[in-house]
Amino acid sequence: MAKTYDAIIIGGGHNGLVCAAYLAKAGKSVLVLERSHVLGGAAVTEELHPGFHFSVCSYVVSLFRPHIIRELELAKHGMELIPLECSFLPLPDGDSLCRWSDSHRTRREIARFSAKDAETAPEFALAMTKMAQFFKQIIDSPAPDPTSLNPSEIMRLLRLTKQFRGLGPDLMYLNMQLMTMSALDFLDLWFESEVLKAPMSVSGIIGTFLGVRSPGTAYVLLHHYMGEIDGAFRSWGFSKGGTGRLSLAIAASAQAFGAEIRTESPVDHVMIQNGRAVGVVLPNGDEIRSKTVVSGLDPNRTFLKMVGEKNLDDEFLTKIKRYKLRGSSGKVNLAVDRLPEFSCRAGSEHLRGDIAICPGIDYLERAYDEAKYGDFSRRPYINMVVPSIVDPSVAPPGKHIISCFVQYAPYHIKEGAEHWPERREAFGDAVVDTLAEYVPGLKESILYRQVLTPWDLEQEFGLTEGNIFHGELSPEQLLFQRPTSGWARYRTPIRDLWLCGSGAHPGGGVMGAPGELAAKTMLTSGGI
Amino acid sequence: MTPAPGNNPENNKYDVIVIGAGHNGLTTAAMLAKSGRKVVVLERRLIVGGLAAREEFHPGFYTDGILHDASLFDEKVIRELGLSYHGLTMTDCPPPIFAPQREGPGLLLHHDPVLAKSEIEKHSAGDATRYVEYRAFLDRVRPFFNRLLRSIPPDVAAGGWRDQLALASTGLTLRRLGRKDMMEVLRIGPMCVADWLNEWFETQLLSCLLAGPALTCSSTGPWSPATNAMLLRHEMLSGRTATGGSSSITDALRVSCEQLGVDLHTNATVKEVRITGGVIEGVTLQDSESFDAPIVAASCDPKTLFCSLIDGRHIPARLEDRMTHLRTLGTTVKVHLALGKPLRFACRPDLEIQHARIAESFDEMERAFDSTKYRHCATSPILDIAIPSISNPTLAPKDHHVVSILAHFAPYDLDGSWGNDARESFGDLVVNRLASYAVDLNDAIIAREVLTPLDIETRYGLTGGHLHHAEHGLDQMITRPVPECARYGTPIRGLYLCGSGSHPGGGITGLPGSLAAKTIIKAG
Repeated sequence: MAKTYDAIIIGGGHNGLVCAAYLAKAGKSVLVLERSHVLGGAAVTEELHPGFHFSVCSYVVSLFRPHIIRELELAKHGMELIPLECSFLPLPDGDSLCRWSDSHRTRREIARFSAKDAETAPEFALAMTKMAQFFKQIIDSPAPDPTSLNPSEIMRLLRLTKQFRGLGPDLMYLNMQLMTMSALDFLDLWFESEVLKAPMSVSGIIGTFLGVRSPGTAYVLLHHYMGEIDGAFRSWGFSKGGTGRLSLAIAASAQAFGAEIRTESPVDHVMIQNGRAVGVVLPNGDEIRSKTVVSGLDPNRTFLKMVGEKNLDDEFLTKIKRYKLRGSSGKVNLAVDRLPEFSCRAGSEHLRGDIAICPGIDYLERAYDEAKYGDFSRRPYINMVVPSIVDPSVAPPGKHIISCFVQYAPYHIKEGAEHWPERREAFGDAVVDTLAEYVPGLKESILYRQVLTPWDLEQEFGLTEGNIFHGELSPEQLLFQRPTSGWARYRTPIRDLWLCGSGAHPGGGVMGAPGELAAKTMLTSGGI
Repeated sequence: MTPAPGNNPENNKYDVIVIGAGHNGLTTAAMLAKSGRKVVVLERRLIVGGLAAREEFHPGFYTDGILHDASLFDEKVIRELGLSYHGLTMTDCPPPIFAPQREGPGLLLHHDPVLAKSEIEKHSAGDATRYVEYRAFLDRVRPFFNRLLRSIPPDVAAGGWRDQLALASTGLTLRRLGRKDMMEVLRIGPMCVADWLNEWFETQLLSCLLAGPALTCSSTGPWSPATNAMLLRHEMLSGRTATGGSSSITDALRVSCEQLGVDLHTNATVKEVRITGGVIEGVTLQDSESFDAPIVAASCDPKTLFCSLIDGRHIPARLEDRMTHLRTLGTTVKVHLALGKPLRFACRPDLEIQHARIAESFDEMERAFDSTKYRHCATSPILDIAIPSISNPTLAPKDHHVVSILAHFAPYDLDGSWGNDARESFGDLVVNRLASYAVDLNDAIIAREVLTPLDIETRYGLTGGHLHHAEHGLDQMITRPVPECARYGTPIRGLYLCGSGSHPGGGITGLPGSLAAKTIIKAG
């Protein structure tokens, strides 16, 4: 008789792998099934052009939880993070702003635009770091449920309330502002210079279908202060060898703990008997049995494709169908034969971090407006990195990789999402044209170009509607409501079917937290 | 309304001075007078009523006030002040609202789903059924919102047991809705109004009609998050309507004040609120007449109070900073039309309409909002229209009518500034837009008045020309206007806020006024 696993994990993305590693570490027999030939899901690195190793989707690591690195011994398995050294904003008028990890240097840069802002910046950073420390507890544990009458839940809420009150009135109010204001309104409280506010505000909109003036975008600013590398706050980094190397390190860890991992193994659907998940069925009809099934896919794919509408009650089905995905971003990856040279600043020191194309608030809002009415932005917000400068292993000597995160590219274009392939190159051109305004020799230096529209993200990476976070990070889809109210604890209405992807608390980004918390919840609640 | 009794200091000693004779100022004054206090109201304009004052804008034609929604006034205030004995009469429910269409029959929406059924069915049978459920849902969650909107907000940051208890009791009202509705309330509050209404209805015309009030006087579009909270707020406040319109509410309040012995001074512009050692002394008028009282309740907008009427050295630095950053950017232009005949819509020429909203799709509404981001006026503004002369014929000569239009969006900080040209060309735009739906409108117009946010600021003394005194953003609603003054009291002893800049915000509700009065009474 075929083996019955303790858990089958659908999807070998970084969260699926983290979950697998934790379950295997606890002595469970685990099988990970990944449909692609590479592991990592959206955190993959591939050699798309000879000698060029592209981190195709996720290109920086920010929120990856340090305790996961320790507990899964990821460093031993080849994970290495290189901190981003700066954040560079070129401006069309030939000026530029570079924020360095050295705060004195940053202050001098900011002072060129506003002496007052240069003074305020450290105070702002301090307040935000304090807030981030409070929020860290929320992303490092399952979401508290304010609607539950369970005594342990109520105790937890009371504890959290007490800690919240411990922040003092000023920080409590700051927290309230962060949860309700738009990124721009919030920054307006502190700063006057648009040159500073524009690049700061964009961290509030990455991956969402909102603009910097949309209420509720302020809290995402915190993510910037929550990025932790080896316990040091405020650091973002590249994974050495590409983001895929991080995924491979997690996979190696999982395997070392005894998990079995199969690539090129798509799952057709979850096998359900008497309302319980009992295994998975492969496209060829083969069945693999297990005590539990854990899905690292987004909620839409998990329930509407893997489970099937007939196995869900109407109320839950309604909730899943209205779950908002609405991808809003694309990626453009370039292989170039020389270092990109920005006309506004010579040298390459300022290119060792991320580079933001967002020269003003109106620029960002116009980009958003185009997307609202079903078009990609002609002049988009671009977050660009040149990882090959700090990690030469990813490109041939003297040559470089440019990886661009581009917003807005709405999944639902007015022609219909399925028409994206016809618009793909025009979208790529808009991105290259925009960059070329700052990097005059860019077009001539391009050896290879990959354009990923939200449609491509859906088709190639299984991200429904191309949403990189497995679902909009809007308040009604966060915390105890992620993915839907009543089902925020990794459980699902199908017994023994669990969620461990970015569609579960605390959401998207390469942080590994949903995978870890799902595994720990399963283990402690006797779910496995 | 007696003239100011000269500069006799004995005569100018009061228990409470109320700044501003809008509906909130009058409510506060009447309630405090009823509790036995000696109260004076100081109004800078020549008439009382603020945004709900009847004003002649063309010989023989009167507006019913700037804010024409007369369905929001709190029932408890009406009862406590006996306003029905002072001439206020109420209908049973909000009047039906019409959404005209360029192509199609339009939609006359009754509040009552039974009456609304046949109209909605012309567009979608499913929506007619869902409208019943929509109203039922709102009725079910009403107890929680009543508690939230109609009581003094609990102090989230304070540690006292009384505040904790108040907070817990609000939480309990939410719990009592049952787990399902409670979850739903928590889910839908932060949503954008377009998303939530799209979950309910397939007819955009219906959704846009319902969404209108959520965007009134705001800097948000239907796709802006948290606008749904403002829709819920409006739905929960909206109820029986004053038959005589907004001005009949302030008329009744004025009578009530007079009977309770409140001194009402018009043409009395406050220059300074006098403070000594952090304690209120009184106020001084522009003509240097002074009034003394240990308590001042200000129904003017908070920014005016703290940034113009009080010397900066009396204000804690943090509070001053917060006041500077209070968002008060007005986005509404008011247009009044004097018509020689009733307003009729081409899609339903036989229908007599009291209220209408023009916006056929969310994209159209959103585009109207987009323009304000770049400091431009909307090219297809959203129009919120009332014809107050139908229920109150005294506002216009016989067989003539008054049309009151709140047009969105037109920013206070217009690129190129609000001169005569900008004002009139936006006025033309509004009239043309209405004319494209109406029957022979242009021929019927006898006169018109256009008030830009700048005009509103100048005439009514509202910072930024904001009709809600401060933006209805969630952050400015939870602790309205700022945490230091979120419960009507301020860091200055004896100084209270009692206008729309306080909880629960703008509109002719009387709630900030009455809750402030309660706070003052409680404080002894």
